[in-house]
Amino acid sequence: MDKDTKLAEIREKLKVLLVDQLALDDVTPEEIEDDSELFGEGLGLDSLDAVEIVVMLQRNFNLEVKDMEKNREIFRTIGTLADYVYEKTEA
Amino acid sequence: MSETPPPRQRGNALGIWFFKSLMQLFGLRGAYALLYPVCLYYAIFDRAAVRSAVPYISRRFPERSGFRQWWTAYLLFVSQGKNLIDRHALIAGAVEFDTAIDGYEQLETFSHDQQGFILLTSHVGNWQTVMHSLEKLDRTVHLLMKPEMNPAIRDAVQVDSEESRIRIISPDQEMGGVLAVMDALGNGDIVAIMGDRSYGADSVPVEFLGSTVHFPYSAFHIAASAHCPVVVLLSSKVGGGAYSVNMAEVLWPKLERRRDRKEQLAEWVQKYADILGNYLLDHPLQYFIFHDIWMDAD
Repeated sequence: MDKDTKLAEIREKLKVLLVDQLALDDVTPEEIEDDSELFGEGLGLDSLDAVEIVVMLQRNFNLEVKDMEKNREIFRTIGTLADYVYEKTEA
Repeated sequence: MSETPPPRQRGNALGIWFFKSLMQLFGLRGAYALLYPVCLYYAIFDRAAVRSAVPYISRRFPERSGFRQWWTAYLLFVSQGKNLIDRHALIAGAVEFDTAIDGYEQLETFSHDQQGFILLTSHVGNWQTVMHSLEKLDRTVHLLMKPEMNPAIRDAVQVDSEESRIRIISPDQEMGGVLAVMDALGNGDIVAIMGDRSYGADSVPVEFLGSTVHFPYSAFHIAASAHCPVVVLLSSKVGGGAYSVNMAEVLWPKLERRRDRKEQLAEWVQKYADILGNYLLDHPLQYFIFHDIWMDAD
């Protein structure tokens, strides 16, 4: 599987997980754009949703919570989150 | 999130200087002695100060009204004044307090195991003084608070100074500082979070001293996610030069996936509210919440 296909797969999985684990009732995975902001404007997630995303990464991708503060750019969009997951799990 | 205005500060630089000078000349007891007339002045002439104490007093002592309620407010002012003087004395290095800590062995075990934990603080006693007792644990303590919220706290615990291992995580930073908190816990550090006032943070309704309040739940949410314990910090002044600190109440929040998250968090916050309420039964004049936290729940 090439990188683009794998990334697309991760993005789709992240969208499903977000909607499910953050209990986002007013949005479906299909409606989430790859480059829409997760926090503030955009999906409107709050700081405690960030905790859930960290847990989601641990549970589903076995990613350790280290230097999250330094790498907070990865939490900006589904795209940046998928890039991070790909880099840590596939590269 | 609504912006909470900073609390009105009473006392000015000259007054603080005067108390400090008195402390240097006559020791703690000399400074305490002046407190009684000063607090009486505030109790008589500063109606807003007395009013701010009434919400707590009327719930902790529902049988007291009129003069007895006013007298309790006065005693509360004196009690807080002593705590403030102690804090200044400690910063100045003028005194060392006997501090009996219940639950310290548990914290040493956490520290030895590199287990980060959340220290849940309240407006009870003098938690800033307790921070010095944590130095022996050899872990960095991060205070989750707005840096501008209370400069006195920064001075009291010597935040960010070279010799101090106390740092501030601001909830104003991106994602409410949550990532920094998770990092700190992951590194085995201590994160102190205020438990009994939301300051605009997400909260849940719980019963506290017989009425409903909204207490923040972020400490429990983060702890459940980071698989770390919440240590409830309670402290009180028990004599001229002695403090009693209780850190024996340790909660390990867990959230079940199939149940409503907020409902479960409310249960954990209720456990904390019960612990704090029980503590105030024995230490009623050590609770310095001069704000109607119950009204915020209406």
